[in-house]
Amino acid sequence: MRHPFYLVYGLALLGLVTMAEFRGWSLTSVNEMKDVPKSIRDNPGAYRAHYAFYPRYFGGK
Amino acid sequence: MSTAPPPQVKSFNCPGCGAPVVIRGFATTLSVVCGNCHSILDAKDPNFAVLQRFQAAESIQPPIPLGTRGKVRGEPYEVIGFQVRTITEEGVDYSWDEYLLFNPYKGYRYLTEYQGHWNDVTVLRTLPEVNASGARPVAKVNGEKFRHFQTSQARTTYVLGEFPWQVRVGGETTTCVDFVSPPRMLSSETTGSETTWSLGEYITGRQVWQAFQLPGSPPAPVGVYENQPSPYGGNLKEVWLVCALFLAAMVGMALFFTTFARNEEVFSGSYRFAPRTGGEASFVTDYFELKGRTSNVELTTRTDLSNNWVYFNYALINADTGQAFDFGREVSYYFGSDSDGAWTEGSLKDTAVVPAVPSGRYYLRVEPEMDANAAGVWYEILVKRDVPSMSYFLIAALLLLLPPVFLAFRSMGFEQARWRESDYPPAASGGGDD
Repeated sequence: MRHPFYLVYGLALLGLVTMAEFRGWSLTSVNEMKDVPKSIRDNPGAYRAHYAFYPRYFGGK
Repeated sequence: MSTAPPPQVKSFNCPGCGAPVVIRGFATTLSVVCGNCHSILDAKDPNFAVLQRFQAAESIQPPIPLGTRGKVRGEPYEVIGFQVRTITEEGVDYSWDEYLLFNPYKGYRYLTEYQGHWNDVTVLRTLPEVNASGARPVAKVNGEKFRHFQTSQARTTYVLGEFPWQVRVGGETTTCVDFVSPPRMLSSETTGSETTWSLGEYITGRQVWQAFQLPGSPPAPVGVYENQPSPYGGNLKEVWLVCALFLAAMVGMALFFTTFARNEEVFSGSYRFAPRTGGEASFVTDYFELKGRTSNVELTTRTDLSNNWVYFNYALINADTGQAFDFGREVSYYFGSDSDGAWTEGSLKDTAVVPAVPSGRYYLRVEPEMDANAAGVWYEILVKRDVPSMSYFLIAALLLLLPPVFLAFRSMGFEQARWRESDYPPAASGGGDD
């Protein structure tokens, strides 16, 4: 190929999409937390999530 | 070049002004021009009779001086003649330069130049086959098909050096018909009943400068010339080919993941949430096992909402490590009818994909929210492990198509610029304008 840019670009895309599929990447916005206490199972209401700032819209025509 | 013998010339004095005139083509030269007084002399006449004396608005110094020797296609040639030829289109004159090159063993060839675009031209020995029956005539020579580009009436407006024909300035016009198959151009020139065919090939100014070892650099080409090879043509085909290969590889990869992904349902549960009853809304599910490599988890929520919404605060928690993935999902579904008819908005179902979840023992913490006055909602949660997703392949395919599509548009723009100058301008251009 006279200009290998597209070859490199295509290989990078193919590699990226394979990795995304293999590792199960997703576009869903997720907050990851560590060390959630085991007591949450006994008292689920005590859980403090980090999602509170996500925009929420409850629509309707 | 430095080892080449000096050019052999014959010189005499111009009968018009006495200035020295040089003949390099010897026996084949029929007319020669005095560069001082612009007299065209009969080279075959013992007294070099003046055939025509033309008035030039300015004395033109060709960028490749007469007598310059260089190598064209590996053969030495000498510049012996120079002429400016002009066509008039819609009252505007367009002129190009023609250099006559001579090699006593190989004969003549021409170099033409128009706005920095050069062509190496040789006279054809075979008669092309012309088919003028269609909307656009085509000509075939040596198995190559050329499309008609332009027909014009050309006249010679300036000459220098010598020519193997009786050259004249002004006066008689020649009908020039150009056919193109970039980088080649097939041209016919008809004067009276005589037609000469020639085959030209586009060359760059740099090649000309190198061939004749000219000082400085050639003038930059302006616009797109009729047989200028497209810089996108060959590359575009390669890019489309590579694109097709990549797309095939992606389809193969998508099939592979679809076939071999676990796509395993690991948990399901149905629940009812009634905010009016009060009490703690949040709860945790039973444990479930996520097996295999680090991969995604798909959580689907199905509801029986009716003109209402429900919001779920989810946490997918690893029972052993305490690692948690928090996310919130809204499900809303409204319907009704108005002056436009029946309508619906939203969906009874929602699907979220949690990325890169390591294997292990997990449970879900679920906290539903609704309007405090809502009657309640039934909902079902389904959790699946390692679900194949086509979205990345689709995005990648679109990204893969971007460069060839971009190149294709550039290529189309180049071709449109080429044909704008022809007898067949693209519809949108409204005819040649420069």
